[in-house]
Amino acid sequence: MIKIQKEDFIPDKEINKIKNLYSNVGAVTSFTGYVRDINYNKKVELLNLEVYKEMAYKQFKKIISEANLRWKLIDCLIIHRYGKLYINSKIVLVSCFSEHRKDSLESCNFIMDYLKKDAPFWKNEYYKDNNEWLINSS
Amino acid sequence: MKIKYFAWIKDITNKEDEEINSEIIKNLDELKLFIKKKYPNLKTHLDKEILRFAVNHEYVINNIYLNAKDEIAIFPPVSGG
Repeated sequence: MIKIQKEDFIPDKEINKIKNLYSNVGAVTSFTGYVRDINYNKKVELLNLEVYKEMAYKQFKKIISEANLRWKLIDCLIIHRYGKLYINSKIVLVSCFSEHRKDSLESCNFIMDYLKKDAPFWKNEYYKDNNEWLINSS
Repeated sequence: MKIKYFAWIKDITNKEDEEINSEIIKNLDELKLFIKKKYPNLKTHLDKEILRFAVNHEYVINNIYLNAKDEIAIFPPVSGG
């Protein structure tokens, strides 16, 4: 399942919605990304996250398909927020559901690596007196 | 064809998107030349090859033919996640 939304979400609730669909899930690995207060020694006030929504959907579908080819997965969940996000806000959730832990652990890491490198989102970080567009370093 | 701009590129073009006459632009290299002329402040970034291109929501690296109905996106390196 893919969700690209402005709204906040509750990770456990989202994960359980999918987990409850399957009785053969033995492992769930999840990554949640948050807005930090300090970045490169600058005090952050908020992020304005821009997205190319149509492309992000298409690219997320592709990467989930690719993960399914590499690992034995039962389901995958990606939620990525956009818009104004304040300190401590959740930005992203990736959850991978499988029978065994290795498949969920490795696929979750794989999807996050892709997401950092290629998902069409841009963070505009706001400080007290100015703002700056970020580039992912990892 | 429709051209879409994202992040700080919009600050240079002063617009989010625009329609470009596909009669005069047949491929991605021609589009890059067109953009350099229209937005001289993008030239340095294009020459350094730091900008990324997507045609119909797929990343494109090589020079490819463009069609009238294509949606081309031009954007800086991403920072999601």
